[in-house]
Amino acid sequence: MAETMTKTAVEKEKLEWFGPKERKLITDPLNDDNPVTVQILGVCSALAVTTMLKPALIMAIAVTVVTGFSNLVISLMRNGIPKQIRMIVQLVVIAFLVTVVEQVLKAYSYPVWKQLSVFIGLIITNCIVMGRLEAYAMANPPWRSFLDGLGNGAGYGLILIAVAAIREFFGRGAFMGYKILGATDEFLLNTSKHWWLSWYQPNGLMVIPASAIFLVGIFIWIQRSRNPKLVDVS
Amino acid sequence: MYSNRYITIYTLIMTLVVSIVLAFTVTGLKPFHDAAEAIYKKRDILSAIESQLPKKLKDMSDEEVLSLFDSKVEQVVINAEGESLQGISAEKVDMASEEKKPENERKYPLYIYQSEQGKIYLTSVRGNGLWDKIWAYVAIKEDLNTIVGTAFGHVGETPGLGAEIKDNPGFPRQFEGKKILNDQGDYVSVKVVKGGAKDPLHEVDAISGATITSVGVSEMMVRGLEVYLPYLQAQKK
Amino acid sequence: MDNLLNIFIKSAFIENMVLAYFIGMCSFLAVSKSVKTAIGLGAAVIFVLALTVPINWVISELVLGPNGIFKTDLTFLRFILFIASIAASVQLVEMAVEKYSPSLYNALGIFLPLITVNCAILGAALFMVAREYNFAESVVYGIGSGFGWALAIIAMAAIREKIRYSHVPAPLRGLGIAFILTGLMGMAFMALMGINPATYMQQ
Repeated sequence: MAETMTKTAVEKEKLEWFGPKERKLITDPLNDDNPVTVQILGVCSALAVTTMLKPALIMAIAVTVVTGFSNLVISLMRNGIPKQIRMIVQLVVIAFLVTVVEQVLKAYSYPVWKQLSVFIGLIITNCIVMGRLEAYAMANPPWRSFLDGLGNGAGYGLILIAVAAIREFFGRGAFMGYKILGATDEFLLNTSKHWWLSWYQPNGLMVIPASAIFLVGIFIWIQRSRNPKLVDVS
Repeated sequence: MYSNRYITIYTLIMTLVVSIVLAFTVTGLKPFHDAAEAIYKKRDILSAIESQLPKKLKDMSDEEVLSLFDSKVEQVVINAEGESLQGISAEKVDMASEEKKPENERKYPLYIYQSEQGKIYLTSVRGNGLWDKIWAYVAIKEDLNTIVGTAFGHVGETPGLGAEIKDNPGFPRQFEGKKILNDQGDYVSVKVVKGGAKDPLHEVDAISGATITSVGVSEMMVRGLEVYLPYLQAQKK
Repeated sequence: MDNLLNIFIKSAFIENMVLAYFIGMCSFLAVSKSVKTAIGLGAAVIFVLALTVPINWVISELVLGPNGIFKTDLTFLRFILFIASIAASVQLVEMAVEKYSPSLYNALGIFLPLITVNCAILGAALFMVAREYNFAESVVYGIGSGFGWALAIIAMAAIREKIRYSHVPAPLRGLGIAFILTGLMGMAFMALMGINPATYMQQ
């Protein structure tokens, strides 16, 4: 990573590292240009992994890493890519990065790797990655593309984490796997233990996949009522 | 527009670079993969006898799991006739691929845990749930009759219904203390029944709303444990 | 035979790509504004899935697996080879359709290249590997999941055509209501859960 950064620094002497424009690249996707709720990109793969916070968190990090570095690599390569095979080149770069992420995850966090199963592979076809490559990295310098990738990955991760936190809290009465509400395992065996938590009955709706989609719909509703500019006119 | 020659060379170089880098990454991480997988499997197996372990599994570090497994667990592989096979360790037996073989060629893994109260036999059983495969490790006490613990797993049962066999700790704990042989010493195994278990030794309560998963667990417990019987009977003598 | 029918029903209805796993949502939301285009894209997806799932089965068994031509475990190349084979087959389909049936090409034309990055295509290939299907099963699985995806997008487009005449709150219009509708459809499809065709056929 250090190598690529110095390379970009040499190339980009005139551009600032963290000027207002660069900062905007990171902050915009978190709010008014959110890839999920505004650009409708990348809802595909990952909502199925949001029943609990931990896998969602890891998924968010994985997607951010892939969007950031694929933007960087493609931006570095952008002048040499033959137009006819542009899409395949992009896909190979993405698939390569996703494989690396998967292998690292498998080595260092095996249970989470097992839990995420096919959904790691689906990062390849996550529309955010391809979408940002086409819309930004093919026409912009590497450092900015990298920031744009990170920002969009983070914007996506934000939605993922918010959905997962809500679903885990109401669906299981837990946060990051720690029980904070509802009957605990010990309570089920011995009702004198942890009885003060047992008043909450976990909400089954939050466990089923459809609730993730409802939550994203509600996020869109909230965001668009606060910022009427985003409202769909059609 | 780029020439065809440029495109061909470009593609070749890219493919080469990508595959070489990936091959190096994978080879470099291979030992980590194997170690992580082994620990995952060992934790899974030990979770069936959690009550017999010196401390809770989640409080144990990876090294402790490995050393416990190395020092206390003996691995045996038996064939369909109940004879133990030499030169293969139980960890190498994959139940999923054994299942595809004809019945008389299958191998079955058996782990024998040396607890303070004597040997505990850890058997593996595998069957069908509603959607996909389900499996369990069933731990049987030295009397070769009493179940001391079980741990269930599944590929994709319905959350909140069939998946409760794994998610709800109350379900596997029902099996503790159940007997697989009746008073006459005949094999009956443990069955999952709807509407309240009546026989305190051979029946447990089904999960409400998950009929097919429950039937699958029953079937798995009867058929799966039976193959270990000849070996276990031989141990008695 | 029972098993194949079971896989078809499971992949088309019960474990519907879009409504149970939310895979392939991008194009599902973007192209479900009118029934006509939805039918076009749905047909294209069925076709591409029926083609690529078996192709990827062959790749993963004969090239990547330990019993394949290289006799080594090359599964780490799975993602790259899968996506490359999908991109290549989509390209081939596009050229073939253009040459032999220009009218179909005009109907599908714009959607075909988009299908490469439809998560449902790669998703089906990865599920096929994870569930250890054999060749016949993977063919049926490809067709079934494509059919399920097409069914979902056509139903969605029909609802969205009608919903234009309803008073949806302004901030929810368009994308927002589409999400909520998808969630409701997903819940409706959950009613099919617990139906195991195999057990009915045995009786």
